[in-house]
Amino acid sequence: MEPETGTSSDQADSALVIDGVYKGYPSGRARVPVIENVSLLAPRGQFVTVIGPSGCGKTTLLRIVAGLLEVDRGTVSIFGESVQRASAAKHIGLVPQSPALLPWRTVLDNVRLPLQVNKKPDSDGSRSHADPIAVLKSFGLGHVVNRRPAQLSGGMQHRVAIARAFVFDPPILLMDEPFAAVDELTREMLRHELLSIWQANKKTVLFVTHSISEAIALSDVVVIMSANPGTIRKVIPIGLPRPRNDLVETTEEFHELERQIRIELRDSWRGTK
Amino acid sequence: MSELPGFELDERTDAQPGLPVLEPAVAEPPPRRGMPAWSRPSVWLPPLVAIAVLAGAWQLYAAHNPFVIPTIPKIFDELTSRPDFYLRNALTTLQEALVGAALGMGIAFLLAVVMSYVRIVERAVLPLAVILNVTPIIAIAPALVVAFGFGPTPKYIITAVLVFFPFLINSLIGLRSADPLALDVLKTLNASHTEILWRLRLPSSLPFLCAGARICVPLSLIGAVVAEFVAAGQTNGLGTLIVTAASLSDLPTIYASVAVLAVIGIALFVLVVLIQRRLLVWHSSANLTK
Repeated sequence: MEPETGTSSDQADSALVIDGVYKGYPSGRARVPVIENVSLLAPRGQFVTVIGPSGCGKTTLLRIVAGLLEVDRGTVSIFGESVQRASAAKHIGLVPQSPALLPWRTVLDNVRLPLQVNKKPDSDGSRSHADPIAVLKSFGLGHVVNRRPAQLSGGMQHRVAIARAFVFDPPILLMDEPFAAVDELTREMLRHELLSIWQANKKTVLFVTHSISEAIALSDVVVIMSANPGTIRKVIPIGLPRPRNDLVETTEEFHELERQIRIELRDSWRGTK
Repeated sequence: MSELPGFELDERTDAQPGLPVLEPAVAEPPPRRGMPAWSRPSVWLPPLVAIAVLAGAWQLYAAHNPFVIPTIPKIFDELTSRPDFYLRNALTTLQEALVGAALGMGIAFLLAVVMSYVRIVERAVLPLAVILNVTPIIAIAPALVVAFGFGPTPKYIITAVLVFFPFLINSLIGLRSADPLALDVLKTLNASHTEILWRLRLPSSLPFLCAGARICVPLSLIGAVVAEFVAAGQTNGLGTLIVTAASLSDLPTIYASVAVLAVIGIALFVLVVLIQRRLLVWHSSANLTK
């Protein structure tokens, strides 16, 4: 089975093409596969979420796409370019698991960081950067621009981390369980904020999460992975109408999708036993 | 009737009858606003009493044993009789300490930067640095005097060698302490090594560099004084003054010199702490040193 989110004719228009990727770690003499034969297409402007049990290689996959890990086999391309070239062109925005803000910088200076490094791609005139203050205001952080991260709540720190990824306007965003460390209420709030901001500018997003409801509420496509070794088990298109708001989670359709994904996850988890 | 250390049982009227209420025996009064901590007698009185008791004991003992330690007035007289003489010698020693410290800490930091990027340099250099650290470096001081004479050079070298290892280790740990996820963010932006060093590794290392400076700056003073002990003669300096005075059994001069060294040591330490507070307003350690 070739799990794809579109047909191969879309390939030219795909933002992200992952093709037959294998990645293993050395363990003694052998190499233990972490992910095996993973193929995925993400069309431009789609929100794709990867969900799966712990150890299924979701984060490994995301780190490969981010250029932080090399593949052993297979290819990854972003807008037809290699990951290295996409990274050199500042086409990739990363939102890591923890906000990873620089504690000595103010909120504003943290958000400016991507504009201050690797300036070559910015100078060719083809990119328009958002004004950092305007971005912070759109995330409801206009009143804390001069504070340091330690003076903010956890939820606010996560918002700053997302704003930092939006500010240099990368065409693809990679988000690795960005809300895993915050409490449930904050998490829901951040989810709805992300939803409304994403719907306003429609970037291609690869999102990794543990949360089924988060995956459905945000995504166009949910990719279910199973562990040992990490493979794609199923790709479920989320047909819920857009624009969505927080009420989407109360609909019958939403619950049906939730049930379907839960069953798949349970089976994938059982399969690894 | 206290049964638990630090707690006492107290039967309060608002508590349920028969149920004792556990309360801390010493209730900390809430800190009053607008009043710095040191202005409270409970803060400044204990050390003051301790110093007074010590000075009294010193004076009592010195009065009966003038050939063991001089009395405090005698030390004071010695200091005030020729203040410019002590100032000149103090400046010599201070200069040796600061130049040596700057040299040793500077080289240690640059080496740590190289080591944090090139593992093979770390593997090559770290064992040598450890050997240098466990060797009582004072032992080579006479050899340095033979090689470089009685001028300031051997003093700089000994001081630099003394502060080198602690600062190398602190720098190395500091440069490695950068948040790995922040490193990921910079890497996906294709930031260069220099940009990562300048924007992430260096600021992350500041708390460790400050901790290193708090060890190394007082150490540099020890280095300069001991180097002067070994290479006394041509140049002056408080260490030279002490060994010369010792050969003449001139106790007041020795203790006056020690007193000046103590003042320099305190001044240097306060300076380091002030710089640290300035640099690390964002770091929790800045509040711990108050």
